[in-house]
Amino acid sequence: MGQGRQGILTHGSCDVVGIDRPIIRFDHATFGFPGVIALKEISLDIAEGEFIGVIGPNGSGKTTLCRAVLGLLRPLEGHLQIFDCACEELRCHHRARIGYLPQKGMIDRNFPVTVLEAVMMGRYGALGLFKRPSRRDREIALEALAHVGMEHHRDTALGHLSGGQQQRVFIARALAQQPQVLLLDEPTTGLDITTQHNVVELVQQLHRELGLTVLLITHDINMIRSRVDRLVLLKTRVFAAGPPQDVLKPEILREVYGKDVVITDRDMVIVEDYHHH
Amino acid sequence: MLTYDFMQRSLLAAALVGALCSVVGVFVVLRGLAFAGAGTAHAAFAGVALAYLMGWPPLALAILFGLATVWITGVIEEQGRMKLDVSIGILYTATMALAILFIGLMKGYNAEVYGYLFGSVLSVTPDELRVVLALSLLVLGMIVLFSKELYFIAFDQEMAEASGVPARRIFFLLLTLVALTVVISLKTVGAVLVFAMILIPASTAYQLTHSLTHLTLYAVVIGVLCAAGGVLLSSMWDVPSGPAIVLLATTVFFLAVLFSPKRLRRVHAASSPQP
Repeated sequence: MGQGRQGILTHGSCDVVGIDRPIIRFDHATFGFPGVIALKEISLDIAEGEFIGVIGPNGSGKTTLCRAVLGLLRPLEGHLQIFDCACEELRCHHRARIGYLPQKGMIDRNFPVTVLEAVMMGRYGALGLFKRPSRRDREIALEALAHVGMEHHRDTALGHLSGGQQQRVFIARALAQQPQVLLLDEPTTGLDITTQHNVVELVQQLHRELGLTVLLITHDINMIRSRVDRLVLLKTRVFAAGPPQDVLKPEILREVYGKDVVITDRDMVIVEDYHHH
Repeated sequence: MLTYDFMQRSLLAAALVGALCSVVGVFVVLRGLAFAGAGTAHAAFAGVALAYLMGWPPLALAILFGLATVWITGVIEEQGRMKLDVSIGILYTATMALAILFIGLMKGYNAEVYGYLFGSVLSVTPDELRVVLALSLLVLGMIVLFSKELYFIAFDQEMAEASGVPARRIFFLLLTLVALTVVISLKTVGAVLVFAMILIPASTAYQLTHSLTHLTLYAVVIGVLCAAGGVLLSSMWDVPSGPAIVLLATTVFFLAVLFSPKRLRRVHAASSPQP
């Protein structure tokens, strides 16, 4: 991918957050609803340009973390800072700097929309109210499509694409926001193994080429452990965080998942009763 | 027939209502608010009934009742504490009960009130036409102004909000536009049938295209042609205008389903031999 393409898709102003300062900072932040705590007193700094994998069992708070980063949840206690703003002060133009890929199944994938129309929606938040998309916005959307290898499908109906192709289109929609942060909520769920690899490889490539900060929420530890800079293991709190080899220790995983975990050179297998093997 | 003033007024009112209902209908169908709109229509009718009972302006009361219902619906949907169809079902029947109560309290039969229930576009007065025109321009203007945000929240409201669109405010704007559209259309197609005019053209267009832009365009063309065509049929065959418009639209809908490129594509795919 050329420099020109990189230039058009990355956010113009990165001056808000310095290199030595985190782009996202959770400071003893607790999230949930009255009586229900989804994430308790989490402290986590995410630096600009990092590739973070967020893992944890069902109900561990992964999606809550995602919604918090999007500014859709406010902490009950503690602080969350995004782009040097307290999340309470997060405005629409800040949100537009976070490209978001929701979980598969949250979107009606048969919605009557063409690929280009869907990607153009990525421009709407950044454009603001009362402004019509210009030729430049269309160019950005087309560049985003080219980045995910879907430029030839621009006039195809979204519903006619395969699951993997639709994920690519939604990643392009997120890229069209010219984001600083790419937030992906279980992007490989429901895809076949080859497509899963392709999607994660694409994310890694975008991280490398566009210098994006990536937060990838997933259950698929094997798929991401060799690709991320850091893993964050959640179980209602930050149970462990650090390089994958420090987080993926059998004793940590056993405590979080309640099962023994076999770690081989290439894969990890969670077994019902490891002591019998 | 077309040289009569009342006929020209009726056709213009029907075409305006047809265009308005179908454009709003695109967002209602895509955002899954069909039942909410039906509830709003009956609430607006309750407002009309109260207005005739008390001698107040019917349009103002219809707007008040319509807006109150649609906003309550919106708050309930946002909070997610109750299934939308249940909450609307309660509001729908409660407002209809209010309407029947208000009519029951009236002394004698009031044909004008029933006109709002079943529609009487052929009796639209020049003043009413001016109000329909002004409100239609207001609603259509708002839709043009906020079309990109409206499309986005119809696609996925949470994604829109996460992307920096003020999605919650746009959602309530859409609800407000639905209520205004219902009120504007009461006189033409009536409270019982107005929601058919909101749903059917958009649902018909849905059968024909995969593009949002084309969907809106087709819906407007279908809405205007069905509304004007219904008025002409109503006048030619001396049948009520509201049902004529809605039944014509329904016929077009079933034809679209039958010849839908989407359906034909599915049938073709199913009958093709598997590789």
